[in-house]
Amino acid sequence: MASVDTLPPAHLEAEAVAKRQRERLLGFGVFAALLVAAWVVGHEVPDWMDLDVQGWAQDRYTWTIQNSDTHWLFTVFLNPASDFLNWAVEHVFDLLEALRWPGVVALTAMIGWRTGGPRAALAGGLAMLAVGAVAPWDKAMLTLSIMVVAVVMALVVGVPLGVIAARSDRAEKIIRVVLDTAQVMPVYVYFAPLLTGFGIGYPPAVMATFIYALPPATRLTNLGIRQVPVVLNEVGQSFGTTSWQQLLKVQLPVARKSILLGLNQVIMMAFAIVVLASLFGPSDLGRLVLNALQKQEVGEAFAAGIGIVLLAVALDRISTGDRRPLPRWMPTPPQWGRRVWLALGIGTVVAAVVCARAFELDVLPSWMLIDAASPIDDAVDWVQNNLRKDVPVIGGTQAISDFLVVHIIDPIQRFLLWLPWLAVVTGVAFVGWLSRGWRLAAGVALCLVLIGFMGTVPGAGGRKPLWDEAMNTLSQVIVAIVLAVLIAFPLGVWAGRSDRVERVLKPFLDLAQVLPQFVYLIPVVFLFSAGRAAGVVACVVYAIPPLIRLTALGLREVPHAPREAATSFGATPRQELLHVQLPLARKAILLGVNQTVLMVLATVIIAALVGAGGLGLLAYTAAAKPNVNLGQGMAGGLSIVFLAIMLDRITQAWGRDPDTSRT
Amino acid sequence: MRSTRRTSRLAVAGLVISSLVLAACGDDEEDAGGGDSPTSSAAPSESCETSGDAIKLAVNPWTGSAVNAYVAKAVIECNLGTPVEIIEIDENATWVGLDDASIDAVLEVWPSGHAADYEQYITTKGTVVDIGLLGPEAKIGWFVPKSVVDEHPELATWEGFLDPELAKLFATAESGDLGQFTMGDPSYVTYDEQIIANLGLPLKYVVAGSEAALLAAIDQAVADGTPVLMQFWKPHWKHLEVELVEVKLPDVTPECEAAAASGDGSYACDYPVDALYKAASVQLEAKNAPVFNMLSKMQLTTEQQSEIAGYVDRDGMSPAEAAQKWVDENAAVWQAWLA
Repeated sequence: MASVDTLPPAHLEAEAVAKRQRERLLGFGVFAALLVAAWVVGHEVPDWMDLDVQGWAQDRYTWTIQNSDTHWLFTVFLNPASDFLNWAVEHVFDLLEALRWPGVVALTAMIGWRTGGPRAALAGGLAMLAVGAVAPWDKAMLTLSIMVVAVVMALVVGVPLGVIAARSDRAEKIIRVVLDTAQVMPVYVYFAPLLTGFGIGYPPAVMATFIYALPPATRLTNLGIRQVPVVLNEVGQSFGTTSWQQLLKVQLPVARKSILLGLNQVIMMAFAIVVLASLFGPSDLGRLVLNALQKQEVGEAFAAGIGIVLLAVALDRISTGDRRPLPRWMPTPPQWGRRVWLALGIGTVVAAVVCARAFELDVLPSWMLIDAASPIDDAVDWVQNNLRKDVPVIGGTQAISDFLVVHIIDPIQRFLLWLPWLAVVTGVAFVGWLSRGWRLAAGVALCLVLIGFMGTVPGAGGRKPLWDEAMNTLSQVIVAIVLAVLIAFPLGVWAGRSDRVERVLKPFLDLAQVLPQFVYLIPVVFLFSAGRAAGVVACVVYAIPPLIRLTALGLREVPHAPREAATSFGATPRQELLHVQLPLARKAILLGVNQTVLMVLATVIIAALVGAGGLGLLAYTAAAKPNVNLGQGMAGGLSIVFLAIMLDRITQAWGRDPDTSRT
Repeated sequence: MRSTRRTSRLAVAGLVISSLVLAACGDDEEDAGGGDSPTSSAAPSESCETSGDAIKLAVNPWTGSAVNAYVAKAVIECNLGTPVEIIEIDENATWVGLDDASIDAVLEVWPSGHAADYEQYITTKGTVVDIGLLGPEAKIGWFVPKSVVDEHPELATWEGFLDPELAKLFATAESGDLGQFTMGDPSYVTYDEQIIANLGLPLKYVVAGSEAALLAAIDQAVADGTPVLMQFWKPHWKHLEVELVEVKLPDVTPECEAAAASGDGSYACDYPVDALYKAASVQLEAKNAPVFNMLSKMQLTTEQQSEIAGYVDRDGMSPAEAAQKWVDENAAVWQAWLA
């Protein structure tokens, strides 16, 4: 592709090859020397290496507690912001309440019809109705209100940020660091600061959701605009359009598909955090999950979780602009004009609301309710009783868990801890250099060195460097990423080549991505025992959807021309896949791998709740005892972010053309 | 192009009209609904005439916390005429709510877990006040399933765990050759690592990470009939379902109290008894003195609280129903709080 266009003349090429070989030799030499040096001097993280991030964060937090009533930061800025968010959520909630359930269902369907057509209308409306069938309607509407406000905020901030990122490479770099931090920094770390900043209730819940849901809006806007074909931009310029016109009339419309995918991901991300957001005080579906968890009512927790998923599905279906016609077995709607349909739609909504109010339809009638909890309890019981032990061949989940811990995670962790810490830094820098060159090597090395600067944390027999916890987490993260790619990549290829597979997989992907991880904490622990294996499993479940989705999307977006060309040359489907589709879809697939890496790191915190320990556990303690642990939680959270950026930049480098720049 | 624009203008007009209709309807609805905020749970308790600013009571996610608050709600609403709003919230977030008075009171604080909050908000900043003991005493400790003690009576006390062979009964993939000591939520108070080290026990401290994970670990052990040793506490509903025995640790000594206060890592005793207390926003007394007085005087015995909690955990009532039932049957007890 691009490399073909820019192929240099032959004599220059030969010179470049020779130069590259010299550089290569030099690199190997440098890293070998560094490794030896690391072995000599860098065994333990030295005591003086401590930026005192922990003390700094702890002091800032204490300061906010002491000044939250008087300082202008609160009185002028945060308190009004908090009031506004409260106002927004309450008004959305009031509106949804006033609509009653028939009105909300009708409105959902109507929006779906406007954005996509009859299919989206039907899917959205039915999903919304199903929410009411499995979960308490008022709590669902409260969750929806918080989500709507957070999603709108994420778009209002995220899309312009994406435009900025698309127009300047430097801005993109900075924005990416911010986004990575937002996506990976565990909520528990900023739980206490959000509380002191915004009080209890809806505002901090909205803020937490917003922070977590923002990245995909920006990322996919950026990606979409950057993928606008150069020709289109040039055509625009030749007509003398201004930069703004270019953006509004050419780039954004062409990037529409990508931005819509961004919206879809924003919704999924937002709903993934409902349960954590309810820790701040809203009595919504997330609170139901937490309460059920405390009572160990797995079925109840799942039912509330499914309510959350269905809400997400309803929003997703009416926002992705699904313009496909209805399935064939359904009657085709008559071909009336748009205006007739519009009037009909509005009429339906108004009629639904009027009816609902007249007959006081506050909650769904009992015959429409579905008891999801009992069958789920039965299913979970069955899984727990039958998959843990005595499964032919694989032995059961307990055996898998023991194998993972004893033969895979533990050896990797012990190896990483046995290595001098500077040797780990050197090794990672080497991988960075191989992937992209010196600058990347320096960047990823810096990430690890900064973890070395995070100071010490309490452990068995006194304080020890935080580094040890980071290596614990890194070993689990590596295992989780490898497992996730092994599972997701084949599924993604399959889904990319078969509509039916994709259709079957989609609800499961939505489920894996949106079903609050909290609902399966108990079964995961029961099946895999509390510990690092359970943590890895939790990460894998959450991390595979983006890779499957993006692999499938990448394969589908391969233009027809090269595929047809390959077929006409007599390529078998297998050859076409391996030599045409996969190479052309490489960028999308590697973006998927990259997202998987970030998802795994974003789940480190949940893994800590099932016994993974490490950095996640440190971050978790910040929420529970902020007055003493915020500092160590911040250090743990930042270290997770550094690991994420390190792995992200390396995987991103694989996704670029190796020749474009080697700086 | 033109027609699309006209259609969308029509759509906007339609939406505006319909939302106006809704708003009009919404207004008369509000009067009837009494502006019930979605954070409050619509409790089906006996309807009593109430007026004025609602008192906001925090409920943390365990049964005891809920029944205390619903008992207080029933008594306050029907005797002091003040509405009570229940706020379900994380126990650590509760303190921030008390601090800015968005929560008026919390009726069950476990002192062991909140020493730093006490220091920060009650002693230093003075925005939260301690309004006395609730009455029940809780106890954190080391627990094993009863079957373990039946089979190995030595394991009823900590000395039994000195034997590496017995300790090994508790080994897992995570603990290797040592026995596993399981800790649940790491945010709960824990001296277990120090106790293990200072008593020289061949155990490995493993953090399961959450209460849910701990409960699942108990179920796993019961299902397999395998031993499990963990930090657990009373009261907890799980005791109704599984028979757990507390392992006897060395008695609490003044040295241990000093070690706990200094955090020097030399703790080697049992956990002290947790005397549950109540805390209120400093503004509550000015906001509603009768309610403040009532909450300050409110006390339940351990037996009374477990009776009400039993209605919920054993009989499946809602906390509101359980509280109402107890309030109906025990007028003498709560009338003393109003005196």
